Amino acid sequence: MLVIKDLHASVFGTPILKGLTLEVNPGEVHAIMGPNGAGKSTLSNVVAGREGYEITSGSIEYLGKDLTELETEERACEGIFLAFQYPVEIPGVSNMAMLKAAVNSMRKYRGQDEMTAGDFLKLIKEKAALVEMKQEFLKRSVNEGFSGGEKKRNEILQMAMLEPKLAFLDETDSGLDIDALKIVSSGVNALRSPDRAMVVVTHYQRLLDHIVPDFVHVLADGKIVKSGDKSLALELEEKGYGWIDGLNDEGIAEAS
Amino acid sequence: MISANNVQSWVDHHRGTESSEPEWLAKKRQAAIQSFTEVGLPTLRNEDWRYTSLRKVLNNEFSIETKLEAAEAAVPATGEFPRIVFVNGLLLESASTALSLDGVSTLSETLAENPMQLTEVFGTTVKDSLHGFVELNTAYAKEGYVISIGKNAVLDQPIEVLYLSLGDKIASHARNIINAEANSQLTVVERHLGANGNTYLNNSVTEIIAGDNAHVSHYKIHQESDNGTHIGGVLINQANGSNVTNHNVSLSGALVRNDIVANLNGQGAHTEMNGLVFGSGESHVDNFTEVNHHVANCTSDEYYKTVLDDNSRSVFRGRIVVAEDAQQTNADQQNNNLLLSKNAEADCKPQLEIYADDVKCSHGATVGQLDESSMFYLKSRGINHEDARALLTFAFANEVLERISIQSIKEELMTQLAGELLSGVDSVPK
Repeated sequence: MLVIKDLHASVFGTPILKGLTLEVNPGEVHAIMGPNGAGKSTLSNVVAGREGYEITSGSIEYLGKDLTELETEERACEGIFLAFQYPVEIPGVSNMAMLKAAVNSMRKYRGQDEMTAGDFLKLIKEKAALVEMKQEFLKRSVNEGFSGGEKKRNEILQMAMLEPKLAFLDETDSGLDIDALKIVSSGVNALRSPDRAMVVVTHYQRLLDHIVPDFVHVLADGKIVKSGDKSLALELEEKGYGWIDGLNDEGIAEAS
Repeated sequence: MISANNVQSWVDHHRGTESSEPEWLAKKRQAAIQSFTEVGLPTLRNEDWRYTSLRKVLNNEFSIETKLEAAEAAVPATGEFPRIVFVNGLLLESASTALSLDGVSTLSETLAENPMQLTEVFGTTVKDSLHGFVELNTAYAKEGYVISIGKNAVLDQPIEVLYLSLGDKIASHARNIINAEANSQLTVVERHLGANGNTYLNNSVTEIIAGDNAHVSHYKIHQESDNGTHIGGVLINQANGSNVTNHNVSLSGALVRNDIVANLNGQGAHTEMNGLVFGSGESHVDNFTEVNHHVANCTSDEYYKTVLDDNSRSVFRGRIVVAEDAQQTNADQQNNNLLLSKNAEADCKPQLEIYADDVKCSHGATVGQLDESSMFYLKSRGINHEDARALLTFAFANEVLERISIQSIKEELMTQLAGELLSGVDSVPK
């Protein structure tokens, strides 16, 4: 589904990714862990197509297409979703209006008719229940005045509405208390399916107690230095990053 | 014909049109002519006009309409409110349903039948320091609406006043008067509509006198021709406890200039000024606002937003003067400008003059572009560039329209704004 080969990327001129290789297949859940500054968020932003994130060499193939040739919105319409580490507040645009625009934009891209108001309402009510979000949040401006937990639940609601094929969850656990973490995780787990792949980017092992990955990768200094199954995450939790071959402790914070 | 850039040409053109007006008015007219010939028309050398050039429009020759041809067909279908309709500056009586209401009349009718009603009113809001167009208006305006309601009277429906500019190269002066006596309430919606392609010069002054505890809502909505010029004044005097709101919305026009001046003359008075400018093409909109806190315990709230696309330009001047005795004043002013194009320009000039020492005055001015992170967020949800831009722009501008209390007008303006911005995205809240 997603094949990244020897990817080098710069953020506003500074090289961050330095030869990253990763393959994700339908139905798989991958966790990417790593210290601060390793390039975790850069990877998410590069896949989503953010301006200022420049690919200097290597390739990203998605469903057999060169992803780098697509605009951000085309990538979304092709089924790529990014749950933001810091969801953006958009005063004056209601959650409902944004989701309606998004759903209909994607339907248009696929040559489908716009969804009727009735169908849309039914769908959004159903999906909001998944993340235990009250109706009033749908009418409020996107993320404006939301708590950290509400923002992250809103990201998962959007994911549920847009039904992506490949979802990147960028530090979805940051800023969550344990209750919010459970709600968000159960929302994510409900969306796991044999056709849908997920890449969970996280600093901490604790998220992986709730969203159990098939693969765990360690990202350090712009490339993946070790891959394994879920036991790798536990090992990292216990020992930090220093024991991994090719990594020294210098300049790399220990995961707590 | 009037050579618009020639002061004497205006005076010569109007000579001999004086009718048998009451002496007090003739005196005011004479003084205004005198003043107009002295100050002349504004140029870029006037500090108050340094960002707004009249050169292009004043290079035209204009005529003043004296007789109206049948114009009924051009009047937009009847709206939900009683109306007064002016075409090229002249009353279209057949379409003016509001004239049957108590207290609703025209300037010409009032001067002919009940001139005493205006003796203590006409010209009382005009400061000496205003520009030549106001003097020109005082000197020669023969028509306009007069809404004068007595103590405790309430007009339960808004009065809609349409000014249609249908001809080409026509100038007009409208002098409107709203006189709301103590405890009265009224709403007036002025709409300035121009048929596209026509070049015209409308010079309008609306005087608002709000008595003790009177409530006045005044709307000025510009849907002008792309070649139309409107120079307007909204001049307000407020007594104790009065509440005046002005909504000023410009959606089109080659050149629109409004001088909006509120004088808070009585304690406990409140002024609200809301403005929205949407500029596109070559349009130029200049809003010159001023709130004078002359006495203590008054409040004012000013909220102006501008969206500029293409080569359009806007000017905002927000002057707040708090006199030495105006203690416990609470004044707020916000002016936010959004530039959608590299060729658009917004000039904004907050100007606070505070001579009292126990006041609360706040102001904020911003000029910026659409937020990159918001754009990326929307696009990452599959929304294309144009629609994302439209959603964010609409949200920015809509905050001003949200302040409009007449539901049908709010919805109409939202729909029009959305139409200018959106391609099929349904974001208009219902």
